[in-house]
Amino acid sequence: MDTNDKGVRKIVDMITGFARSNSLFMLAYGTGCGDIEIPPAMTSRYDWERFGYRKMATPRQADVLLISGYLATKTLKRVIRSYEQMQEPKYVVAFGSCTINGGMYWDSYNTIKMLDHYIPVDVYINGCMPRPEAVMSGLFDLQEQIKKGEANGAQKYRENLEWYRGNQKKVIKNWVMPEYNW
Amino acid sequence: MEDILKLLGGAAATMLLAFVVGATYGGLVRKIIARTQNRVGPPWYQNFVDISKLYMKDTAVHHGVMQHIGPAFAITASVTVLMFVPVLREGGWFPWFENLNFKGDIIFLIYMMVFGSLGMALGIGQTGNPNASIGVSRGLSMMVGYEIPFVLSLVSVMVQTHTTSITGLMEWQTQNGWLMFEAPFAFITMLLAILGMFHYAPFDIAHAPSEIASGPPSEFGGKYLAMMMTSGSIFAFAKLVFLVDVFMNGASNLVMLVVKTLLLYMVPVLYGAVSPRYRTEQAIRYLWGWPVFFGIIALIYSIYI
Amino acid sequence: MNSLLLIILILLGGAILAYLAKRITPMLSSIVSFLAISSAAVVFFTMTSSTDVVTVSVRNFTLQFGLNAYSWVFAAMVMGISALVSLYNIAYMSGKDRLGYFNLNFTLAIMSMMGIVFANDWISFFIFWEIMTWSSFLIVVYNGIDEGKIGTKYMIFSAVGGYAMLMAIVITNSQIDSFLIADLINAYPTFGHGMQAMIGILFLIGFSVKAAVMPLHVWAPRAYSDSPMSFTAIFSGLLSKMGIFGMAIMFISVFSKASIGDTFIYSQVIAWLGGVTAVMATFYAVIQKDAKRLLAYSSIAQLGYIVTGLAIGTKLSVMSALFLAVIHALYKGILFMAVGAVERQAGSTNLEQLGALIRKMPWTFFSALIAAIALAGIPPLGGFVGKWMLYESMITSTNPSHLFLVILIFLSSTAAFLYVYRLLFGLFLGQEEPEWDHVKEAPAPMVIPMVLMALTLILLGYAPGLLFEPIANGMEFLGFENVGWQMSSLSNIWGDTVDMQYVWGSVVTLFVLGAIFITIKNRKSTRYVTTKDIHTSGEIPEAHENLTYAVDFYKPFERAIEPVMRKTMDFYYNHFGNGLESLFGFVRKIYTGNGQTYAMYVVIFLVILLLIGEQIFK
Repeated sequence: MDTNDKGVRKIVDMITGFARSNSLFMLAYGTGCGDIEIPPAMTSRYDWERFGYRKMATPRQADVLLISGYLATKTLKRVIRSYEQMQEPKYVVAFGSCTINGGMYWDSYNTIKMLDHYIPVDVYINGCMPRPEAVMSGLFDLQEQIKKGEANGAQKYRENLEWYRGNQKKVIKNWVMPEYNW
Repeated sequence: MEDILKLLGGAAATMLLAFVVGATYGGLVRKIIARTQNRVGPPWYQNFVDISKLYMKDTAVHHGVMQHIGPAFAITASVTVLMFVPVLREGGWFPWFENLNFKGDIIFLIYMMVFGSLGMALGIGQTGNPNASIGVSRGLSMMVGYEIPFVLSLVSVMVQTHTTSITGLMEWQTQNGWLMFEAPFAFITMLLAILGMFHYAPFDIAHAPSEIASGPPSEFGGKYLAMMMTSGSIFAFAKLVFLVDVFMNGASNLVMLVVKTLLLYMVPVLYGAVSPRYRTEQAIRYLWGWPVFFGIIALIYSIYI
Repeated sequence: MNSLLLIILILLGGAILAYLAKRITPMLSSIVSFLAISSAAVVFFTMTSSTDVVTVSVRNFTLQFGLNAYSWVFAAMVMGISALVSLYNIAYMSGKDRLGYFNLNFTLAIMSMMGIVFANDWISFFIFWEIMTWSSFLIVVYNGIDEGKIGTKYMIFSAVGGYAMLMAIVITNSQIDSFLIADLINAYPTFGHGMQAMIGILFLIGFSVKAAVMPLHVWAPRAYSDSPMSFTAIFSGLLSKMGIFGMAIMFISVFSKASIGDTFIYSQVIAWLGGVTAVMATFYAVIQKDAKRLLAYSSIAQLGYIVTGLAIGTKLSVMSALFLAVIHALYKGILFMAVGAVERQAGSTNLEQLGALIRKMPWTFFSALIAAIALAGIPPLGGFVGKWMLYESMITSTNPSHLFLVILIFLSSTAAFLYVYRLLFGLFLGQEEPEWDHVKEAPAPMVIPMVLMALTLILLGYAPGLLFEPIANGMEFLGFENVGWQMSSLSNIWGDTVDMQYVWGSVVTLFVLGAIFITIKNRKSTRYVTTKDIHTSGEIPEAHENLTYAVDFYKPFERAIEPVMRKTMDFYYNHFGNGLESLFGFVRKIYTGNGQTYAMYVVIFLVILLLIGEQIFK
């Protein structure tokens, strides 16, 4: 079978897209107030398991990194570490206005304002905080992106690593991180 | 040469069947647990999607050669157990494929069943993750717990029927009726032992996700995790078929097999769905309490019947 | 010259030369010892036949040596393994003190074992037995750690065993006026019940001490763990098997010919003692922190299986016991050598401190892994064959007590997975520490014997018949008839079989296929990362931070088995000792050393005599 053939390629992409989008293993990075929105989304009220979402315990197993709120610079370091430990393809979903523009922390001296200066974000969910419905709607968007093959944040990160590293090192003073693992 | 091809064909076909049924059972279990928690739950095919997605992951990391081949140990054990267990009664289930059920016996299977966990444990050990090692310590300790009632039950069955091969047991049952009723105490012991064997609650402390970050598999991702899940699905099915063969005279067609294995599987699943979690030493003491008591009664019953 | 005497003389000469060679250069001493042992092995495997008999007369006293099918098994085991171990010994002992002293005793111990298996009469048996005890005692105290305590314990128990045996030999001689082993076997049924029991028990005590059966095992853990590892490989692997060697003669040739026959109660007792030994020693092995100590307890446990197998006394169980005896010498030899290699290269055997030596010592790890799998009895290696036969012989036994015993044995061998894993994990797996960066693979003379023995274990899993053949011949010599065996198929008396060829084939095939699949899948994007790169909730562990979970590894298990672990056998022996002390204290009160008290005793004695004398001397 010629894998470069267009028709074959299309079918393979469809299958991969289906499998990847319908089985999202989440690593919830519960910072700030956003983490409290995840339990209702998981449990019987909204039950996100019916869409194939599942909470995983470690970055090695996970596909999606949920950043649920503001990030202090100390926390950012851990987020970057967790993100880099995930296996590709990997996606980032950021909750709330804090991750978009700093939100109520916009003039804080130790939180970052725009998350996608530091790691590539695939989906932002607006709100302060977004309700579980909003969270799930954001995840639907992510599923759509994965199906279309547009959710390629990891690739972006790899290609623009220097830029990201520069931004990261700007806010993280004591940078003692191992090199990136592909 | 033809024999080897038949064997390989048998292995592949049995493996495929076991994987399909085992993964479907996994999906059903998730659905059942979801329903008991008043949720809708994932579709029944969710495990297939999960496993195929994990195989499609682009990258994978390992911490050394033992972690790299750890999942190979697991899948070896699962498929070997499956190969030596008669899946269907009356000489295999596809006339043109062969199973190896005349080449091994129950003691061999008991040992083969721990091969995978020990091999996996070595792989897990190499990751150097403390959570994983804690999980291994708990899992192996618990294994000593459930293995005793498990063996007691099997020994009493073997003594009662005067055979140690599974095919022999099935012949005996064809003549004398199911061992489930002929050796009731052994069956009770086995039911209690499989609560521990399938690692559902209350015996799931080895894999506690929110306490030790899912324990043993915490450093496994991508193809490694996929292989572990594949092996787990096959192994669950193999164990169930083994138990059905021993206590319910196997099955003569696939429908009966599915019905019987599913009924048996519901025991640990339903018990687990409504249970909290034991600590390791509590679990061991529980398994060495009533199950062993029933096991000893079973052994005495089998000697003096 | 007769080849049997030649072997003993080569070893004796080698021992003396090894002692002298130390003066030239210490390394030469080990080399001489290796040369002597390996040339003795060559002589043994090429020149002896299993019917050799030779008589040595000293004045009017004759000693008879001979080789038979049964002792051939043990002699071959001793020669083969000790030749490999003495190669290991060259590298392991290089740079240590008092090599002449060590190698003298090392070679003497091997000579004495050959003497024991060659002995046809009890006198030479006893002489070599004592040489073995003494030479091993001198090595036990070689390291000089706690020698007072360990050496004394070993000496006392060996002396108890030796004297029990000597007494049995003398009693036998007074009954039949012959020292020949064959004469005892023939005459045993003619003895009275009391005499049969006494001789049996005395011999069994003598052999049980060496085989470390509970409650005579107290000396073993420290003696095994505190000798140099190259000797412990011999000590636990071969020396303890001399107890098994004697025990098998007693159980099979002697007792089964007795009038009480199969229902001989002592074999039941010994079988259960073996089972209890196996369980308790395994539990102790699980909670050890030191690799050597862990293996020492594990040896005791494994010997428990062998003793149980012998004591059950059916064809299959004796076969399994002898098979396990050989296999145990192989895998425990490997494990002790591997731990010795780690000790030499890293300078520690503490399971809580060491870790991640797998990348530094891959060959040692490979052999230890194979040995550990065999020890755990996991198919398809040789260890499984022995375990399988033991279980089947107990399950098919007509004696109900064996069915409960099998649970004990199962408990022990399941718990054995725990310590096997602990050993491999503690030494070779876990986080890589900068502390152990300097460790290198052991030198070739240490690695080659281990790998060779590991390959033997793999081979014996495929074709256990290679070992069944001599064992079956030996059992036929001991008195079994028609010991059936097949090259790669095991069967029990109910006719159920396990085909090792298929088992081996399917396990190896599947494993290779699985390993190939997981390797070629995404091969290019699969990366190796260090063990510091693990999920730690985003935290980055620094180089000096040790995250390995190794301290109190089996704490939960310890808590679960805590009720049975409260009192050790030492506790009872200490109480026994205290009891004796107070008894002696009481005796001291009688012998005050005061003349007046003695005078009073005389008076009291006379008064008693006067009062009741008439009734006594009527």
